[in-house]
Amino acid sequence: MNHPHDLPNQKHSLIGKRIPLIDAFRKATGQAIYTDDIKLPGQVVGKILRSPHPHAKILSIDVSEAENIPGVHAIVTGRDAENCFGVLPVSQDETALAVDKVLFIGDNVAAVAADTEEIALRALGAIKVEYQVLRPFLKMEESLEQVPEELRLHPKTYDGTNIHKQVEQDFGDFDRAYDEALWKKRQSFRFIGVTHAFTEPMCTIAFFDADERLTVWSATQVPHYLHRALAKVLEMPMHRIRVIRPTVGGGFGGKSDPFPHEMVAALLSRKCRRPVKILFDREEVFYSNHGRHPSKIDVALAIDKNHKISGLHVDALIDGGAWGSFGVVTAYYNGVLANGPYKLPNFRYRGRRVYSNKPPCGAMRGHGAVNTRYAYEILLDEAAHDLGLDPAAFRRDNVLPPNTKTINELRITTSGIGECIDRAVEASSWKDKYGKLPFGHGIGIAGGFYISGSALPIHWDKIPQSTVHLKVDLDGGVTIHSLAAEIGQGSDTMLAQIVADVLGLPIDYCRVFSEDTDTAPIDLGSYSSRVTFMAGNAARRAAEELRKALIQAAADLSGYPPEVFILKDEKVINCTRPEIQVSYREAVRRAMKDCGALQSSGCYQAPPMGGKFKGAAAGLSPTYSFQAFVVELSVDLQTGKPKLHDVWAAHDCGKALNPLAVEGQIEGSIHMGLGQVLCEEFAYNKGNVLNPNFLDYRTLSPMEMPRVHPILVETCDPEGPFGAKECGEGPLLPILPAVSNALFDAIGIRFYELPITADRIWRALERQKKSSATLV
Amino acid sequence: MRLPDFDLHYPTSLEDIQGLTKKFLETGEDFDFIAGGTDVLPNYKNRLNPKRQVISLSKVQGLNKISPNCIGALARVRDIAAHKELGIHFPGLVQAAKLVASPILRNLATLGGNLLLDTRCYYFNQSEFWRASKGYCLKADGDECLVVPQKEICYATYSGDLAAILLVLNAEFELHGPDGVRKIPARAFYRGDGIERFVKKPEEVLTFIHIPETQSKTRGPALKTAYRKLRARDTIEYPVMGVAMGLKTEGDRISQLEVAVTGSEAIPVWYGDLGFNGERICQDTAEGLKKALLNRVKTYKNVPFPPGYRRSMAGEFVKELLLTLA
Repeated sequence: MNHPHDLPNQKHSLIGKRIPLIDAFRKATGQAIYTDDIKLPGQVVGKILRSPHPHAKILSIDVSEAENIPGVHAIVTGRDAENCFGVLPVSQDETALAVDKVLFIGDNVAAVAADTEEIALRALGAIKVEYQVLRPFLKMEESLEQVPEELRLHPKTYDGTNIHKQVEQDFGDFDRAYDEALWKKRQSFRFIGVTHAFTEPMCTIAFFDADERLTVWSATQVPHYLHRALAKVLEMPMHRIRVIRPTVGGGFGGKSDPFPHEMVAALLSRKCRRPVKILFDREEVFYSNHGRHPSKIDVALAIDKNHKISGLHVDALIDGGAWGSFGVVTAYYNGVLANGPYKLPNFRYRGRRVYSNKPPCGAMRGHGAVNTRYAYEILLDEAAHDLGLDPAAFRRDNVLPPNTKTINELRITTSGIGECIDRAVEASSWKDKYGKLPFGHGIGIAGGFYISGSALPIHWDKIPQSTVHLKVDLDGGVTIHSLAAEIGQGSDTMLAQIVADVLGLPIDYCRVFSEDTDTAPIDLGSYSSRVTFMAGNAARRAAEELRKALIQAAADLSGYPPEVFILKDEKVINCTRPEIQVSYREAVRRAMKDCGALQSSGCYQAPPMGGKFKGAAAGLSPTYSFQAFVVELSVDLQTGKPKLHDVWAAHDCGKALNPLAVEGQIEGSIHMGLGQVLCEEFAYNKGNVLNPNFLDYRTLSPMEMPRVHPILVETCDPEGPFGAKECGEGPLLPILPAVSNALFDAIGIRFYELPITADRIWRALERQKKSSATLV
Repeated sequence: MRLPDFDLHYPTSLEDIQGLTKKFLETGEDFDFIAGGTDVLPNYKNRLNPKRQVISLSKVQGLNKISPNCIGALARVRDIAAHKELGIHFPGLVQAAKLVASPILRNLATLGGNLLLDTRCYYFNQSEFWRASKGYCLKADGDECLVVPQKEICYATYSGDLAAILLVLNAEFELHGPDGVRKIPARAFYRGDGIERFVKKPEEVLTFIHIPETQSKTRGPALKTAYRKLRARDTIEYPVMGVAMGLKTEGDRISQLEVAVTGSEAIPVWYGDLGFNGERICQDTAEGLKKALLNRVKTYKNVPFPPGYRRSMAGEFVKELLLTLA
């Protein structure tokens, strides 16, 4: 397929090829350097004193005894840095350490830098904190109450309550659609919180050196936002701060905020002038959380007499925990991202995100879209069932066409949702199975769509969202400078692949430096599924600049016009007379003649789009991924335990730059989504996280993984790099409702609360036995 | 999370162990034994009753042998799970061993360690910080149980997989202590609450597990054994309900029935035949057996899965085991 980014005569050597990630061998052999692998001369250990209360005023903190313990180098408290920060400019509600109040069990109160962990822990024990315990807000509904000022978690809330963000949107005429509907239903859904469960715990080293420059090494998805937050909290200019992101052991959104412990390490280092390392225990990672928000979502769906979706009303109450984080975006996404992949003419939304005295929630793979997607897809399935329609055909009949606008003015360009449904249905032999499998055995379908990068950046600076620099010197190697954070998702490989492909080189010519703010141009980071689309486009443009220079050099050397040349197999070749060739190295030398090392820069900024109404920016993306999954499973009727057999996962990724990596993202998304639908649970007991460890917080083991059959649908997005869109988050969305819909096919029971654990299935089966009603 | 400081001792014989324990008893120092370490060390990291003196059994010779009727306490769970002869004689034991934790943990874990496993509870298996913020419990550093509020009994759940089947098999546990060697039937070994757990004295070492032959000229054909385990995932997990059964039949009637349950109370419980010896094996009997067990099994809200569901599964499992073993 011809794509605007393809040269007419140049075939791809690397785009579309199954390439192992370029850091795979380093990771598999243990040679990759993670933050905790770094040990600097004079380095000391930082530890954080945490709040034992969910909500309390700090009356006093006495560090005098702790300071006198031999081996203690520095102690900091909230008073040492009161400047607020937060990932979004609109909710700067965090401080490095609690200043007046603690907001959850595990909140940061004070910190110590000491020679050893033992000394640091002893010093923490010697810090005396006087608290005045306040009424904790642990249930979402309690946070809606109007309360006196001292019981509000933050100064900025709605109307004297603990509501952080309230959103209302109304498009078309939902009431009329509901009144006139052939089929309609209102249903309340409940979702418990889940967390990312990445492998590498948080780790940060900060060193405020003799030149009064601060270097921070941290396991982060967003070096640039960390850079900004450090400057604000420490009141230092950005040019005196350097952020380095060593190898990151997974993020999934859990490392996409600037974090208090990163500020604390810097403050401690500034005080003791030594490198300070803070490494979290797993329990501390749970207190850091920033996982998926628990929510209660009421949904009303209307289907008209032509079996078309005619109206959707979503009312979401979302538990944000103690801080804002990405919560304003979450409050919008819970509604806005219900406007696909099906045509929706009437849409009403209310979203309320509340503060509560629990570890903060934030962005997690599929941010904001997952729970509403579940509710919507369950009701669609019920509608199809009640109307006697095949749920796959019913969905197929309602899909958004390509090149359209949704009612809330999301700009839809390419869409492969129809093909996704068709191919998942075909591959799974859906028509032979749906409604035909024996009791206890079922098949289900669900769809989804997701942004491929947020079109509007968090900070309203008029700078590109992604910039990539390239440098070629005498050795011929191409150095790629980017700040797109490689967090295991394969972005370094993607950058190398694009650059090498454009230049007609083997991939090993490319060296990716994506970890250092001192050398990399700004990239906003690895979140919102933006990197392949945005950094990929920036890399492509930078490489095209270099290609131009090399072709000009070949033209100069050979006397032929530049238009006839292509780059292939380390050569610049005249495609009209292939025997006329200039080697890559010759071309590089010639191009360097007048300027020294070759350099180029490429950038990406999303085009203007979207409506004029309040909140119109939320959910806008230069393109969207689409997906449809079919799940087959069975239920052990004795114990209620579900067993997943197969998932046919069709995903429109635009163009699979590296099918191996796309399939990996699909499998990983399925594993993560299955955890939320089947067993993961961020459980509380009166403000204490009940299961802050990997034995009791249950992610799925390999024993529970079904066979995954990835189906790559390629719609070649005209704006994506060589047609590519995201593939890291969208594939999580359909797996949850597809499992639930398959359970209905298997046992005739609907589940409106997650997770769907064996005991819940068993109880529902017992109830089913006792009555003919099938609603849970 | 780091281990607390402790002195680690490596005696090579049972005599050496007795020398060490004698010394510690005299000086009043607390001590623990450690074998595979998969239970003790995570608890130590959480500062759950750590001791200053730790005696490793790993260098004591001769305690890891496996024969069908005598298994050393240091035998690895992995080796029990893979033992062909054991599998022929006591298939339920091998089956239970295969269900312990995960392959990596089975490589380290020992039979003795599994039998002497500490009890588990949401309010106990937590870090020092967590327990301080919640309020300490009866089992470690506190004086009130947080599961069933009172100050006398600890309701933490016994979570070993292998005890139930050894109760069914009427095994005997051999203990070596300063006063010599004694053998205690498994059925008399587990006593007390979530803190006490068994009659072994702190200075005694569990050395051998003797399993009587169930097949002989006088006793008839072998006891058929099997084990069912409830767990949230198919690996890593402790049993949150486990039912072991031994069954002999004559014609279509039960001639011997042994039922034992783990993952329910603070100790594994042997229920014997629950009054069903001599009954005809059929669906009604299985239903009756299920009801009889449900009347006896107790569960508490302190490990994964709601207690009611765990109890119900005991009933389901005992019914299924009877019908499949018959």
